[in-house]
Amino acid sequence: MEVKLLEYDDNHVRFVLKGSNPAFANALRRIMIAEVPTLAIDEVVFLENTSILFDEIIAHRLALIPLKVDPEFIDAARHEPSKYEVRFYLDVEAKDSPLVVYSGDLKTDDPHVRPVSDLIPIVKLIPGQKLVLEAYARIGIGRDHAKWSPVSACAYKYMPIINIDHSRCSLCGNCVKYCPRQVLSMEKDRVVIKDPLACTLCKYCETVCPNDAIRVRGDDTTFIFNVESTGSLPPDFIVLEAAKILKEKCETFLKLLKEIREEHT
Amino acid sequence: MIIPVRCFTCGSLIGDKWEEFMRRVSQGEDPKKVLDDMGIKRYCCRRMLLSHVEIIDEILRLEEARRKVSEKYRR
Repeated sequence: MEVKLLEYDDNHVRFVLKGSNPAFANALRRIMIAEVPTLAIDEVVFLENTSILFDEIIAHRLALIPLKVDPEFIDAARHEPSKYEVRFYLDVEAKDSPLVVYSGDLKTDDPHVRPVSDLIPIVKLIPGQKLVLEAYARIGIGRDHAKWSPVSACAYKYMPIINIDHSRCSLCGNCVKYCPRQVLSMEKDRVVIKDPLACTLCKYCETVCPNDAIRVRGDDTTFIFNVESTGSLPPDFIVLEAAKILKEKCETFLKLLKEIREEHT
Repeated sequence: MIIPVRCFTCGSLIGDKWEEFMRRVSQGEDPKKVLDDMGIKRYCCRRMLLSHVEIIDEILRLEEARRKVSEKYRR
């Protein structure tokens, strides 16, 4: 198995996973979505809410705010999620003019936890309206609620294999012209594959080729992963953590199998 | 009602981008260009901003009017 990094920035990573299989790639993807833990607001106590949104709506909006956490904290908290709780409080009142309550108005005692953005509107107030609440953020996983999922877009596709039969190609240029991702280009006397990673395997080039000279298929041992973080955890950490969780699952499974075998011998 | 915190489809954070988007579009910029500038790539997230109507502003005006009326009748 081999991993090649293609792109990497603050909240997004793209890499090629080579020499694997769909079962492994999909397990990794599903764990990233549903089992890598993060922190999210889980309980809200309303002391006063005279805004025009219901308590439930505000609680729901608060829960969806991604919270930036220290990755090491998450790694440590994974085995004892119930031990960790971060308290937030909010106390705002619109006095003389209308007011927008932002995620940045949330205050907390824990200096390590912050909303990913301070500019998320929570509710709008007109003079006289007041919102006082306490919120508790807890560790959880995406399988229980999407608010805990550390990723937004998280997907893979098969590495495209594009075969051009140059003996049949009449250089009509249809495939180059109709490819929605500009994968192909025409060079002097042949069609060349310019950007194979951009190919989405739509096979439109096959359809428009009059001579049946181009064939596209996916390589089910090589995967192009695209992982986008919500901002709560660094994207590389999400992938590593998912691999770690998968490994632990396998170890638990082996342990259970061993126990069964010992019971029966 | 009020701009959703996250994209309904992919879960990416979009709530914090509404005010900048709205300000720039109302100044006459092309929404396509603004969305590209702000790094909103997928069409699921793009429609969140493009199709959003901030009705809470209207409701707040109603609320203000309702309050005035009830104050008047209380006297």
